[in-house]
Amino acid sequence: MPMYGDLGNKLVSHAKRTQNLANLPPYQTELVRDVTREVRDLDKDVASLLEPFQGSFDPAADQATACTLLVNHLSMRRNKRCLLAYHRTRTDKLEELVWNGADILDLAGQQVGNANGATAGADGGANSLSPQEEDYVRQYGDLLAAYKGQWTDIDLTGSLEPPRDLFIDVRVLKDAGEIQTEYGAINLTKNSQFYVRQGDVERLIAQGYLQKLG
Amino acid sequence: MSYYDIDSILTDAEKIPCTFQLDIPDLGYLDNSPGQPLKAGTTVNLPLWLAEMLVIANTGSVDNNTFVTFDLPPALGNDVVSALKADPRAVPLRDRSAHFYGLATHMMDLSEEQELGQVLRKTFVSRATEIALHARKVGGTGHGHKGKGKDESSNLGLGNAGEEFLRGLDDWERKLFRKAHEGAKAGKEWMESIKKY
Repeated sequence: MPMYGDLGNKLVSHAKRTQNLANLPPYQTELVRDVTREVRDLDKDVASLLEPFQGSFDPAADQATACTLLVNHLSMRRNKRCLLAYHRTRTDKLEELVWNGADILDLAGQQVGNANGATAGADGGANSLSPQEEDYVRQYGDLLAAYKGQWTDIDLTGSLEPPRDLFIDVRVLKDAGEIQTEYGAINLTKNSQFYVRQGDVERLIAQGYLQKLG
Repeated sequence: MSYYDIDSILTDAEKIPCTFQLDIPDLGYLDNSPGQPLKAGTTVNLPLWLAEMLVIANTGSVDNNTFVTFDLPPALGNDVVSALKADPRAVPLRDRSAHFYGLATHMMDLSEEQELGQVLRKTFVSRATEIALHARKVGGTGHGHKGKGKDESSNLGLGNAGEEFLRGLDDWERKLFRKAHEGAKAGKEWMESIKKY
């Protein structure tokens, strides 16, 4: 028997699964729309229930209506909580990804992978972020960059592991163009190897352009 | 238990049996018959997020009645409580409810079951000991344990009884198990890495 709040539950189950995943699964556009629609329907019900009373409803005189109103109200409140919790779980995840150095292009790349995968069918293989979430990531990234900009000699998103060696061997997995280091420019072309200062390439390793050797 | 807590939201979806105290024309859908009035005395299973407020809310009438009365859900029935009293470790809580303790806590807020609280506390304490024990064994962290499972998270090292017990953990206990297991593992890793310097 479908009941008010069931759809919201489905949404929260999605959020529960999201918590244990490394990547962000596709945004549940349909489900979110259905839950908001349910809230609107409930609100309409409440309005039509209250209409004959012309603003002078006495709960003690009409207990059955009072109870219906309470049930409707609680259902709306429940849906609101489910919606908020779902989105909050996702933004938490997005913030984590931004702190880990993922940028909007990486997340878009993830979407291409999804589209080619077998699981893409149901959600049309579209972007795994909603347009609002993309915006959120962009703006959060800007905020973080502005925050980090206050300390030029500390990389707040750098690794917390103390390095064993200042210099490391890396192999280039994807063309990353030319980078400037203290020791001059290096051109990072695919499959080449370099002996570089770890601090110079940490971000590129995190982004998957380079692989640390040894 | 914050407003945004996913587990708390899922716990609130657990259902308990409620009996309506008055006829309500518009709520027939709760009893699977939309369009029909819901008769006084009908018992329906309502999720906690709905039941909790209906149980507390006052109808506003002079005799201070509530809209519904409730019973303990089957997950906390007499048979379960007696089984827990006999041996807490032998009851697969998960089969009763995936959010067993959460449900029970809610029910204790609503009712005055003194004994239930005692039983639950004893249940948790004795099961937690068992959980901690298993968490150390899994993945060969135990000393001299048969190292059948090469995979760190494997359950292969456990006997059948252990597996059965772990399958019966409710969500909260599972979390505890995971924490204990990760703790033991991290401790071991730290001990190993410190030797290198």
